[in-house]
Amino acid sequence: MLDYAEPVTKLIDEFKRLPGVGHKTAQRLAFHILRVPEADVERFVEALREVKRKIIFCSVCNNLTDVDPCRYCASPSRDRSMICVVEEPYNLVAVEKTRSYKGLYHVLHGSLSPIRGIGPDDLHLANLLPRLKPENNDGVEVQEVILATNPNTEGEATANYISRLLKPLGARVTRIAMGMPVGSDLEYVDEVTMDKALANRHEM
Amino acid sequence: MLLESLEVHNFRNLSGKVSWGAGLNIIYGDNGQGKTNWLEAIYLLATTKSFRTQRLQEAIRFNEDLAVVRGLVAQSQEVQREMQVNLQGSTKSILINGKKESVARYLGQLHAVAFTADELDVVRGTPEARRKFMDRGVVSLHHAYVQTLADYNRVIKQKNRLLQDASELEMSLEQAFEVIAPWNEQLIKLSTEIHRARVDYVERLNDVLERRLFERENITIRYVSSLEGKGDLSDYEALIAERLRLRLQAEIAAGYSLIGPHRDDLEILFDGREMRAFGSSGQQRSALIILDLAAISVYYLWHNEYPLFLIDDVDAELDRKRISYLLEYLEGRTQTFITTSKESLVEQFVARASVFQVSDGRVVSDASKEQLISSATGSAESI
Ligand SMILES: [Zn+2]
Repeated sequence: MLDYAEPVTKLIDEFKRLPGVGHKTAQRLAFHILRVPEADVERFVEALREVKRKIIFCSVCNNLTDVDPCRYCASPSRDRSMICVVEEPYNLVAVEKTRSYKGLYHVLHGSLSPIRGIGPDDLHLANLLPRLKPENNDGVEVQEVILATNPNTEGEATANYISRLLKPLGARVTRIAMGMPVGSDLEYVDEVTMDKALANRHEM
Repeated sequence: MLLESLEVHNFRNLSGKVSWGAGLNIIYGDNGQGKTNWLEAIYLLATTKSFRTQRLQEAIRFNEDLAVVRGLVAQSQEVQREMQVNLQGSTKSILINGKKESVARYLGQLHAVAFTADELDVVRGTPEARRKFMDRGVVSLHHAYVQTLADYNRVIKQKNRLLQDASELEMSLEQAFEVIAPWNEQLIKLSTEIHRARVDYVERLNDVLERRLFERENITIRYVSSLEGKGDLSDYEALIAERLRLRLQAEIAAGYSLIGPHRDDLEILFDGREMRAFGSSGQQRSALIILDLAAISVYYLWHNEYPLFLIDDVDAELDRKRISYLLEYLEGRTQTFITTSKESLVEQFVARASVFQVSDGRVVSDASKEQLISSATGSAESI
């Protein structure tokens, strides 16, 4: 027998699908929804719908955006000779917060992890190489590709793999410095650490 | 360092708070009352691990969801810190003075060496037990080595999956190389770090080894790299890079990693013969004690203070002669915790020990030596 009426159980199950949400939290969230006015729920549902409808991947850098190309790729004030490669959109936000980087980005949407079945073909990598050609980059030649994947084993393997792809093309490839807490996600790295990691990047 | 007191809730069958003595502590009681659980709680507080199980979850008392082990540790006469390990479901959190801490920082506060029946695997079991012994020692000196080991194991796991894929999907050697190279690159760096750290640690052990403390046979130890005989070990980084390149095909055929320090061993010899195969069970126990004492000395020389020393079921593992030698050797050095069910042992050492009697998980009496001695003399007078 179900602990709760079917609609409540269904809602709890849906919350449990979300990352980091266990049974107790899912229960709490479900009962919160039951208590709030219907208008609030409508607004929440609409926000969910809208994000799925309007947000797409930028065709150039794969960042999440509501216009294509995204605001970074379209901006005339960004330095087009540099591309910073990150795993997730929130890593881009972490780099951006330092305010010391003015170049372009490339978002992979993941990192290599054989045990999770993620290989090179599962990353958004295919559109990186063409970007190094000036004719695909507003006539600007890319001088440096900064690999800012996470400082854990998966991020390291991903950076290594990409540098092997890029080296023959003659671009300068650098890796952000590992002076940050190792084994961690860039998401949790504070701005000062990130700023230093960027400043102390090394050749690959 | 000194563990002044320990408070435990819902960890196995334990509950309550105990104030320990600075020297020898004897935890005494019938079997099944929870003596070893107290040692395990101390070990957990010091190392965040159990010497009994990999799955700490099973140490949470049945039907409870939170187990707490909290101890007051004196770093010096002036500085006291409260250390705490919480187990909740499958998660473990570690705190110093009530604030969450990273493992690397936490491990710097307190250290324990444990002599248990399981640890006898070091002298008579598989190489894995000896690698763990060395790695525990390295971590006790360099806490960041915890991360090196975790990264190494992670990379091996990832690479093993690729090696399996490579044979199942019948990849060409070039294809396999392309996907495996980024992992091998990290293996080279991490393996070199691990190799260097272990070789250095075994050298330190060798420097302080009390080779003939219990027996007349001479004990020697040596780190044995799995790359021995394959080239110049003094340039380990270049050697392992070459071996990984040459053996890729063999690794694919095997479907798992054949090259790296996860295949290394520590050789333990007595009078030139292998302890694991030729040692009597008494000699093996002596050898393990000698290794533990060496680990304690190495720790002391590095940190200028002694770790805690835990000996489980001391009279099952050692005869009285060895116990006397050992406790004499430890006096004035470590804060020592031993468990026993033998009253005669308690009587033998009561004059220089704090004695704690355990019943149903609780310490029911902490008879100080004065009390026991006075009651002993008291009864003598009444005769
Ligand atoms: Zn873009």
